[in-house]
Amino acid sequence: MNFCKRAWLNITAKKGRSILLILVTSAIMLFVLAGLLIRNAADTATSNAKKSVGATVTLSANREAAFKKMRQSTSTSKKKTKPTLSTSPVKLSDAKKIAKLSNVSSYNATVSTSANAKGFSAISTSSSSNGGGMKGGMGGSSTSSGDITIDGVTATSSVSDFSSSSSKITKGRGITAADEGTNNVVIESELAKEDSLKVGDTIKLKATTGTKKTYTLKIVGIYKASSSTSSSQGPDASDPSNSVYTSYTFANTIKGSKYKNTADSVTFNISDPAKVSSVKTAGKKLINTSKYSLSTDDSSYQTVKASMDNVKSFADKIVWLVAIAGTIILALIVILMIRERRYEIGVLLSLGEARWKIVAQFFVEMVMVLIVSIVIAGAGGKFVGNQLGKQLVSQQTTTATTSTSTSSQGQMGGGTPGGTTGGSKPSGNMKGGGGGGGSMPGSSSSSSSTASASQTDLDISVTIMDLVELGGFGLAIMFLSIMLASGGILRLQPKKVLIE
Amino acid sequence: MLKANDIGYWYDRQENSLFEHVNLEFESGTSYAIVGQSGSGKTTFLSLLAGLDKPRAGQIELNGEPINKIGLTNYRRSHVAIVFQSYNLFNYMSPLNNLMTAMAITKSSHQGDKEYAADMLRKLGITDEQMKKNVQKLSGGQQQRVAIARTMCCDAKVVVADEPTGNLDEENTKDVIEQFQKIAHEQKKCVIIVTHEPDVAAMCDHSYRLAKHEFSLEK
Repeated sequence: MNFCKRAWLNITAKKGRSILLILVTSAIMLFVLAGLLIRNAADTATSNAKKSVGATVTLSANREAAFKKMRQSTSTSKKKTKPTLSTSPVKLSDAKKIAKLSNVSSYNATVSTSANAKGFSAISTSSSSNGGGMKGGMGGSSTSSGDITIDGVTATSSVSDFSSSSSKITKGRGITAADEGTNNVVIESELAKEDSLKVGDTIKLKATTGTKKTYTLKIVGIYKASSSTSSSQGPDASDPSNSVYTSYTFANTIKGSKYKNTADSVTFNISDPAKVSSVKTAGKKLINTSKYSLSTDDSSYQTVKASMDNVKSFADKIVWLVAIAGTIILALIVILMIRERRYEIGVLLSLGEARWKIVAQFFVEMVMVLIVSIVIAGAGGKFVGNQLGKQLVSQQTTTATTSTSTSSQGQMGGGTPGGTTGGSKPSGNMKGGGGGGGSMPGSSSSSSSTASASQTDLDISVTIMDLVELGGFGLAIMFLSIMLASGGILRLQPKKVLIE
Repeated sequence: MLKANDIGYWYDRQENSLFEHVNLEFESGTSYAIVGQSGSGKTTFLSLLAGLDKPRAGQIELNGEPINKIGLTNYRRSHVAIVFQSYNLFNYMSPLNNLMTAMAITKSSHQGDKEYAADMLRKLGITDEQMKKNVQKLSGGQQQRVAIARTMCCDAKVVVADEPTGNLDEENTKDVIEQFQKIAHEQKKCVIIVTHEPDVAAMCDHSYRLAKHEFSLEK
C-alpha cells in the first residue's frame, strides 16, 4: 500500500494543485448530483402521482353497438321512418360486480337529467334557450328538457370537479352515499344567491318527463363552481349555475320508474393507474359488451407521468452529458498532470516500481480529491438541484398545460353530444356522463390533469443513497480519466525519461 | 558478478553502433569508473547495466543469469540501485520519506525501519532537521548524499551512478566518491560510476575508457 502513502504525500505537498483539482471535480460532481437528484425526485413524483391522481374506468352504454343496430334496422325496414338510437342504461348490479375487482377503490354512479324550477327562478343567460342544449336518447326516453340540470351522483366528492377543486362546497355538505333514496340536493352558489336560498331550505322541481310530478328537495349544501368552467358550455347550454347535485336515486326517480337501479354511467376509481388495462379486461368479462362498454381515463396520470418523464429524461441527459464532459475534462487534466510528472514516474520505474502501482497512485490521489469534492457537492447539490428542478417543472407544466388545452379543444370539437343534460354541467364533471355515454374527454380531463401536473413539485433532498450513487459516478469518471491518461505511463521507457 | 556478454548497441543501423562485442566483468566489493568523451555511449552502456534498456546484441548476466530472464523491472527493484546526476529524488517528499519509499518499493530487508533510514542519512551528513524538510530545500551536494543514502538502504548488490558528481563542487565530489568507495568496500557491493572527470576515475578501484566504440582498461 506504499502507493497510497505516496498519493497522500503528493496531495498534501502540492496544495495549490490539489485545491484546483478539488474545485474542478466539485463543479463536475455538483452538476452530476443535481442531475441525479432531479431524476430521483422525478421518479418519486411519478410514483406519488400514481397514488394521487389515480385513473378511472367508466361503464356506460355501448353507443357504437347501438349505432350499428340502428343502421341495420333502418336498412331492413321497409317503412321510411326516422332512425332511433336505442341504448340501455347501466344496471347497478353489473357495476357492483366490477366494483369488487381488485384495484377498484370506489365507484360513482352518475345519472343526468333535467327538470323545471317551480317556485324559484333558474338563471337564464342571453345565449341559452329554455329547452337546454344537446339532446340524446337514453333507452328511448323522452327528450324534453327542463331549465335545471340534475346531476345524480353517488357522492359529490368522487366527482372530478370536486376532487380537482374546480368546484367547492362552500356551505353545508356534499352528496354522500347516505343520501341514496332521499331528496337532498346541493345547489350552486349563484343560484342560491339569486333566489335567496340557503342550506335547510327546500326547492321544488317539476319533472319534464313521465308523470310530470313535482318533487320537493331539501338543500343540504351549496357549492361554488369556478367561473372559468362556464366557458366550456355550448351556445344552447343552460347556465352552469343551474346545475344541481342529488343522489343518483333521485335523478332516476325524475326520469321514471323504469330507471330504478340504473345509471347513465358508473365511474370506477382505480387505485393504481398502471392497472387500468387489467381492470378493464376483467370488467369486460362481467358485462354484456354488446350493450355496455368500458372506457378508461388515466389522462391525469398520463399528463403528470409525461411531464415527469420529460423532467427525468432531461435529468438523465444532464447526468450523462456532465459525466462525459467531466470524464473528458478530468482526463485532460490528468494527462497534463502526468506529463508534468514524467520525471517522478521515471524515478519510480528506475526503482523497479510496477507500472500498475504507478497508475494506482494516481487513481488514489484522484479518489482523495473525489471524496472532498463529494462533500462539497453534497452541500451545494440540493441548492443547484432545487433551482434546476423548479425551472424544469415550470417548463414542463407550461408545456403540459398548452398541450392539454390544445387537445381539449380538439376533442370538444369532435365530441359526441350526449345525454339529456343539455351539456350544461360545469366543466364536465362526469366522464361519459351523457345519456348515451357520449363523452367529452377533452373537457372532462383537462382541468384536473393540468391541476395535478402543476401541483407536482419536485421534492429534492440529498440522501446517503444519492451520495453513494454520486460516488459511484465519480469513481467511474476517475477510473476512465486515469485509464485514458495512463496509456502514456504504460508506454513510458525509464531510460528516455531519466537519461535522454 | 555482473557481466556484459558480447554486448552491442545501436539506435537505427548496426553500422552506426555505439559499441559492439563488449565483454566486461564487474565484481562485488569493487568500484569501477567508466570514462569517455561526451556522446561516446558510456551512459547508454550504464543504462544497459542498470536494466533501463535492452542491448541490441548480447546480454547482461547477473551471477550467470541473463537479466532478461530475471525481468528488467524485477532486476531494477531487487538487484540494482541507480544514482543520477540530477539526483532523481521525489521532490514532494522529505529525505526520510524518499528513503522509506525506496525501501518499500525495493522490498528492502529494512522496509519500514525509519530509524535505519535516519541512520543512513546521518552517516552521510544529513542532520535530523534536514531529513524532515522537503528535499528541494537541500543543497545539490546534500541531495546527492540523500540519493546515495537511498542506494545504501536498498539491498541491491549493484550500484550504478551516472555522473554523480556532475553538479557538485570539488569538496562535495571528493566526499561523494568516498561514500561510493565505502559502499563498495564496506557493504561489498559492486559500484560502477560513469564520469568524465579524471579525478573521480582515479579514486575508483578500476577504470575503463570507452573510445572509438571500444572499451579499454585504464587502471
